[in-house]
Amino acid sequence: MAEASFEGRLERMFAETPAMRDADLFTLQVVDKLDRGWTARRLLIGVMGAAGGVIGSAQILGSGVIGHIQALSAQSNAYLLQHVSQAIPQGLLPAGVALNGQVIWMAAALAVVAAGLGLARGIREI
Amino acid sequence: MTSGPVLASAHDLELVALAATGGRPAFGELVRRHGSSVRGLMRRMGADHAMADDLAQDAFLAAFEQIGDFRGEGTFQAWVKRIAARLYVKRWRREARADLMAEQAGEESDTPAGAGEGGAVSRIDLDEALQGLAPAERICVSLCYGAGLSHAEAAAALNAPLGTVKSHVKRGLDKLRRRLSPDGDGGQQRQVHG
Repeated sequence: MAEASFEGRLERMFAETPAMRDADLFTLQVVDKLDRGWTARRLLIGVMGAAGGVIGSAQILGSGVIGHIQALSAQSNAYLLQHVSQAIPQGLLPAGVALNGQVIWMAAALAVVAAGLGLARGIREI
Repeated sequence: MTSGPVLASAHDLELVALAATGGRPAFGELVRRHGSSVRGLMRRMGADHAMADDLAQDAFLAAFEQIGDFRGEGTFQAWVKRIAARLYVKRWRREARADLMAEQAGEESDTPAGAGEGGAVSRIDLDEALQGLAPAERICVSLCYGAGLSHAEAAAALNAPLGTVKSHVKRGLDKLRRRLSPDGDGGQQRQVHG
């Protein structure tokens, strides 16, 4: 009983630490180190991102992927025109707008943006 | 951005939540609140003032990195103290003083660390009493009663057998009990030091 009582007293004594005179200075030093760490980390991430971007771009350009994309785009435009133009009712498109690959891609992009806005609004409501 | 007065009145757990989202001002408030306690523990474990501050800073930086791991099961202060205590033990072991665990068991310390150094608003008798313990006893007692580690956790941190840690704790407690009793050594020391 006396043992437990002494141990409790000892824990309380350990917990009673007086405030140090230079507590504010210590806090500043820790916060300063944190800030420096974050700045260094941000710089490192930025430099690595830029280097990765340059290397990635060089690889993409060097592999001739642009030509592949252009070829695929032309094929998909032809496919979309062939199939989508049959599915869209006459008179749905505004006057003067001809149905081509660009219009379809633009409509798809607008649909994605609208879906994103709707999702963001829904999350905010929740 | 949350302002200073708001942070000053916020609960520790609210500050932890803010710090977990990268809020450094909130974490700064936690450091302001608990910095002295963590530094005090380091000094009581045997670190000199510069080393205590160095370790306490490292502990807070580590706490910020790991703040997502803090589940609020104990207090934030206790959590940081455990981190700091483990850092102290690591450094103590690295400086090849771990062999003191065996060699100086039961011996009284002749050269108390930090004796006579100021810096605190008031002195607490425990500081003087701890200086009379052997380094291993002091560390074991501080780990268990200051940092809240169990005997097994202290043994793991020190990489020492559980029985050895228990022996050091027991001897340390016996000495502290004598020194902190009203008619013990501590009483005489208090008279000497005024």
